Amino acid sequence: MITERVSLTEDQRDCYQEIVNVAMGQAADRLARLLDAYVVLPIPQVNLIEANDLHMAIQGAEDNHAISSVCQGFIGSGIAGEALLLFNDTSFEDLATLMNYSGPLNRYGELELLMDVSSVLIGACIQGIGDQLGIHFNQGHPVVLGQHCQVADIVKSGNHQWNKTLAIEIHYTLEHVNIDCNLLLLFTEDSVAKLNNKIDYLLD
Amino acid sequence: MTDTAKELGDLHWLMAILQNIDVGLVVLDRQYKIQLWNGFMENHSGISPQNAKDQCIFELFDEVPREWLMQKIEPVFELKTRAFTIWEQRPYIFRFKNSRPITGRAAIMYQNCSIIPLESVDRVANHICMIIYDVTDIAIHQEDARLAQQVVAELSEFDHLTDLHSRSHWQPLFEREFQRCTRTQRPSSLVIFNIDQFNDINERYGHHAGDQVLKVVADCLRQTMRQTDSACRYSSEYFAVLLVESDQDTALFFAERVRKRLSSLTIPVTEADLKITLSCGIATINERLQHPYEWEAEAEQAVKLAHDQGGNRCMIRPPNER
Repeated sequence: MITERVSLTEDQRDCYQEIVNVAMGQAADRLARLLDAYVVLPIPQVNLIEANDLHMAIQGAEDNHAISSVCQGFIGSGIAGEALLLFNDTSFEDLATLMNYSGPLNRYGELELLMDVSSVLIGACIQGIGDQLGIHFNQGHPVVLGQHCQVADIVKSGNHQWNKTLAIEIHYTLEHVNIDCNLLLLFTEDSVAKLNNKIDYLLD
Repeated sequence: MTDTAKELGDLHWLMAILQNIDVGLVVLDRQYKIQLWNGFMENHSGISPQNAKDQCIFELFDEVPREWLMQKIEPVFELKTRAFTIWEQRPYIFRFKNSRPITGRAAIMYQNCSIIPLESVDRVANHICMIIYDVTDIAIHQEDARLAQQVVAELSEFDHLTDLHSRSHWQPLFEREFQRCTRTQRPSSLVIFNIDQFNDINERYGHHAGDQVLKVVADCLRQTMRQTDSACRYSSEYFAVLLVESDQDTALFFAERVRKRLSSLTIPVTEADLKITLSCGIATINERLQHPYEWEAEAEQAVKLAHDQGGNRCMIRPPNER
């Protein structure tokens, strides 16, 4: 399968950044209401990344041996991708307080929190982007990395269908609590061209 | 008129699909009262849509965890984003039987659930829809895979005949000990044992007798070594024991004990009572060693020396300088 080389102009990059900014603005308001905490509005990074960069990012997330990342596929209008939520330096206790979770903070408790937070963060962001581009994204079921899905296995698996792809990275932090996570939106190589078409239409 | 009839017809078969689709569909209003209950839910719960309609889901099903589910559903109403639950969090939401009640290996149906907001014309989400997926097979397969991995790990950890550690499991322990010793400058010793004339035993009395001998040697090692030491079946009739925090004298003492103990034993096999002896090679870590394999090589040289001098003895590498 030969795909066009993925590329990104400066205008397109700005446009992606703006779309994500708006989406985050909408989401942050709702998040703040739900979590009753002030979400520091992040500046999203839009980059074309190599497969190796991604592997390093995921591997880094597993280094502390706690379950700390969730991925979820999404697809709409033939544009497919995956959202990865990586918790860097997050206190599960703070997360529990934030989410009003009162159960024990064992492995199951952490899984609960991870699922709840990722539903909200991933959902809000994907929906916001979809709304602006006129795409209804359908989300698959989330998978917790490191639970049934070892990072080493992902890295060595044969699923290297892409070399370079579009990555939108959103760095979330919350004020006064120890919560710090990265949301990565990755699009498949063939989706980037379609997405660029949509963006060009907005730019005109 | 014909258009309306066509629309009604379309609606009719859409309803038929909802009714027959093999996932559970439940629509709830703001008070958690059931507004839609499809065929999947009816068939698995035994509760008809008429009886489910307008009932609060938590009152109809004791097993549905109120607090937990509300924590997932409230954000869906509020933010109009989807929420997901997976079987790893909670195996099921509704206690349904496995859809293959006879050949299925789990008694209950494992479930994933998506919760989606349903907006009314004024763009307010007054209803949500729970979509229940039967993921029993996935859950079972994952559990099978986990168990299989465990078995494989155990199989590769031990030598099946002697129940000592396998070489592949022992080697990393040995290499780590080498690193530790070079760092801490503490002595540790490696002893390699070889059964004298083992091939003759195999040829004269058969491999079954040979296996018996190997087991006896392994037992003898196990009984003599300390808990902190680790022994492995090194290769066919070779055994290696790593003596942690043991200098040359301690290692020699240990090797001599094993050698004497074994030479005093009589091993009954089918045709005869066997007497066996061991050649032992001892290598204590020293500053000349740069790599774990050099340490192994010294012990191997020592055991070869013991063997060449007629067996049933212990040799030390490097030779004791005192």
